[in-house]
Amino acid sequence: MQQHTILLVTIIIMACVALPFLFAASAAKDKGPQVGWLGYGAQRSLVAAMLVVGVAVTGISLAVWPHSVSAGPARQVVNVTGHQWYWEIEDVRLVTGSPVVFNVHTEDVNHGLGVYDADFRLIVQIQAMPGYLNQVQYTFEKPGKYRILCMEFCGVAHHDMTSEFTVSAAKS
Amino acid sequence: MANVATTNNQSKEADALSSVALLLAGAVFLLMMIAGLLMRSAQGKLIDLDPTLFYQLMTAHGAGMVGAAALSGAAIMWLFLGRHVSLNKLAFKAFLALFLLGVVLILYSIFVGGFGGGWTFLYPLPAHSGGVWETAAAATFLVGLLLVGAGFLVLYFEMGRAILVRYGNLSQALAWPLVFRGKMETVPPPTIVASTVIVIFNSVGTVVGAATLAISLINLFVPTFEIDALLAKNMIYFFGHVFINASIYMAVIGVYEILPEYTGRPWKVSRPFAIGWSAVLLFVLAVYPHHLLQDMVMPPWMLVMGQVVSYLSGLPILAVTAFAMLGYVSGSGMKWDLASALLFLGVFGWSVGVVPAIIDGIISINKVMHNTLWVPGHFHTYLLVGEVAMSFGVMAWIVRSKQDVALFSGLQRAVFWTYVVGALGFAMVFLTSGAASVPRRWAVHAPEWIMQDRIATLLGIVTLLSAVYFVTRFGSRLASGERK
Ligand code: HEM
Ligand SMILES: [Cu+2]
Repeated sequence: MQQHTILLVTIIIMACVALPFLFAASAAKDKGPQVGWLGYGAQRSLVAAMLVVGVAVTGISLAVWPHSVSAGPARQVVNVTGHQWYWEIEDVRLVTGSPVVFNVHTEDVNHGLGVYDADFRLIVQIQAMPGYLNQVQYTFEKPGKYRILCMEFCGVAHHDMTSEFTVSAAKS
Repeated sequence: MANVATTNNQSKEADALSSVALLLAGAVFLLMMIAGLLMRSAQGKLIDLDPTLFYQLMTAHGAGMVGAAALSGAAIMWLFLGRHVSLNKLAFKAFLALFLLGVVLILYSIFVGGFGGGWTFLYPLPAHSGGVWETAAAATFLVGLLLVGAGFLVLYFEMGRAILVRYGNLSQALAWPLVFRGKMETVPPPTIVASTVIVIFNSVGTVVGAATLAISLINLFVPTFEIDALLAKNMIYFFGHVFINASIYMAVIGVYEILPEYTGRPWKVSRPFAIGWSAVLLFVLAVYPHHLLQDMVMPPWMLVMGQVVSYLSGLPILAVTAFAMLGYVSGSGMKWDLASALLFLGVFGWSVGVVPAIIDGIISINKVMHNTLWVPGHFHTYLLVGEVAMSFGVMAWIVRSKQDVALFSGLQRAVFWTYVVGALGFAMVFLTSGAASVPRRWAVHAPEWIMQDRIATLLGIVTLLSAVYFVTRFGSRLASGERK
């Protein structure tokens, strides 16, 4: 999902949560029966409805494991290492259309590999952690320059930890 | 007779102690809001701030705000728990002393020692400053946090003791007979159920935090003493998540105790209430892996648990506190004043603030939202519009007067709404920036992001001004003894 869709959906849900607050606040001054329209019956169906939605969202969002990395022969592999405060990216030719697997290491503290597209939109990220190899996979559709930003606070030049790489069009 | 008089005196002193702590927390809120504004305006290139100073302010703002939220929460819990059990005020004094000593060390380490490793002291960053701060500064910061933690443990120990003395065992205090059998002889009040849950989970959280601090301290001086970075990360986020959430749960006690005075409807421990709080106990401890969703070396079941429990945690909040409150409020014939409006706002901010948190807890969405400004977006919603509003509400209630309801038509109402717009707007801009992929904790922002930083700065100023009104009104009314 695109970030703007996520934002929109979030705002809509927040507004749905806000509505009953507005109703209750405006109904506060009236004298009426206790609990009324928000009684236990309503609470129970609300919880039930939220559980149904929850099961559905969980199922859909985890149907494909978001961290899965392909082992297929078509994949391209690139090693990336974070240092205070620069990125070291292995010089390999990357092409569109087949999965790229980033092998992410760090030499010192935690860093975060964030890949940004030409529109400066974060398209994928993974942490870099001392003593561990973290992997993330992404299939680039568009050729061009991509930027790397550090996504985990790593000290005084954290915001200078940027880099770039190029993805070329696959020969068809 | 004599007995009654002592109890009254004691509770007066408990009130005074809580008020002092709340005033202190209010002052820290204001100071740290200024630090926050400096950061936000530096990101918007409205002022020029050296990145070293930016990260120091960020560390101070994080530690200071979390500390002040926890302090105000603890003061509220102490104030109202004292209505039901007999507390030894020495514990609160020891807590305050340890807390203040910790604050002094933390401030010293940051602004004299130059420590800027973030309030989460993510291992092994404190030991790798790249020449910006000395080992001693990092150590001072960690010791400062340890003292604050020790203060909380003293406080919780006393609260736990007092609850056990009065209710005999945890099962009674948690209303478990009601949970499992649907009935019990004397149902404890909401404050007892909530306090018991908080004492248990935040003691666990604080002990884990202390262990992490101790390990980090040893690592500072004996670099060959290394621990697993993944384990350290787990411990830090477990502690951080539990600790900051505890501050909100503590403040909610104020809502349970105060709103009934307005609605005329006592807040009762129903079966859903008891079940909800027992669920909170479980969820708060199990949800922290949602901070580690981008560590694919984590066992997958833990990440799935993080995602699922993030969602489930929202249920008790909404069903047990928010919707129950709406039920109590509507049709109650209650009158709004500054206190009741702020408490109501606090529950609102908390409820809407969990929405972006739950969304970000979905692993595939977290892939593009983690560590962007989306994250400060959700927690500024449920802290600034949630916990902080509740604390301001309790402050206003402590110094309430008969004229307040009448006064709530003029200036007070205007300031209240200014705060709503400012605080909610400020947090929403963070969310928008997060959706625009702006990374969090960046001292220097790209030109594309600056417009949003400037709008946020303006909204932040508005927030600060209304907060100044709430805190100074509390302080001056306290000073002039104008209470109740
Ligand atoms: C007018 C009010 C406030 C302003 C202007 C403000 C501003 C900021 C800014 C600019 C950041 C850094 C964002 C970034 O990562 O780039 C931040 C982070 C943070 N704020 Fe606030 N804030 C305010 C209120 C609060 C309150 C009330 C709390 C808690 C009770 C709070 C807790 C935090 C925490 C925990 C962080 C994270 C620090 C870190 O990343 O290490 N803030 N705030
Ligand atoms: Cu970095």
